[in-house]
Amino acid sequence: MRLRLSPQTLLVIDAFLDQAEEWKYGYDLSRLTGLKSGTLYPILMRMAERKLLETGWESGEPGKPPRHLYRFTAEGLRFARTHAAGPRAGRLGQVALGLEQA
Amino acid sequence: MGTPRRVASRLLEALVRLAPAGSRDWALAMLGELDFIEGEWASLLWAMGGATAILGHAALATLARLKRQAKEGIGMNNTGKKIMGVSIGVLTALMLAGCLMATLRIAGILFPGLYGEHPGWLDWLAVLVIPEATFICATVLLWRKRGPVAAGILATVLVIALHIGVHLAMR
Repeated sequence: MRLRLSPQTLLVIDAFLDQAEEWKYGYDLSRLTGLKSGTLYPILMRMAERKLLETGWESGEPGKPPRHLYRFTAEGLRFARTHAAGPRAGRLGQVALGLEQA
Repeated sequence: MGTPRRVASRLLEALVRLAPAGSRDWALAMLGELDFIEGEWASLLWAMGGATAILGHAALATLARLKRQAKEGIGMNNTGKKIMGVSIGVLTALMLAGCLMATLRIAGILFPGLYGEHPGWLDWLAVLVIPEATFICATVLLWRKRGPVAAGILATVLVIALHIGVHLAMR
């Protein structure tokens, strides 16, 4: 399975591994990782195309667009745990503290 | 709703309408998040980043499809490929001729001394000598491997030569 593991992709993987069974919103992932939409969404697209992520829709108020949700598939979780087991807590922690330029 | 957020919303709505089928859901996903973004300008940046992502995704998908079609040899028969090759040759030659003429014109304006005592020589160089020599070289080099493209370039050479001949005859 080919997925370029750039530092940004590893950040996204870290964010998904945090409470991995829960669905996550795009904007929450953006805040958690510090990535802009132009960086975050291509990563989400690639992960979804490679079946590492499953996606869903959450319908909100009438007249409002639905929100897209994401979480790891079983395969994605295996992939993530293989590739992000090491310095996991460190990367997101650094982003949260503003020590790493995301 | 302030102006930046309204612009962001319009941009993403347009993307939802215009994006290819494979990218539309992603545009809708970005639009769905817009109401939750704190800050007017942040929402506009979100939409602009999203638009970049969607355009990139759509471009990559199109490129992948074209590559696959080219690999499988589908989507275009032999005649279509030849027509495409000739068109590429003609377009390349016209673009090259245009660039050469523009470059020499600009050079003439920037360095008036280039014209010297014979103002006509630069024009001849621009419209005849350099393009024709370049095209003939390109035709010879491409003839075996890219026959239709070479034929397109050759056709352009002939049309330009004919045009210059008619121009001279009229004068």
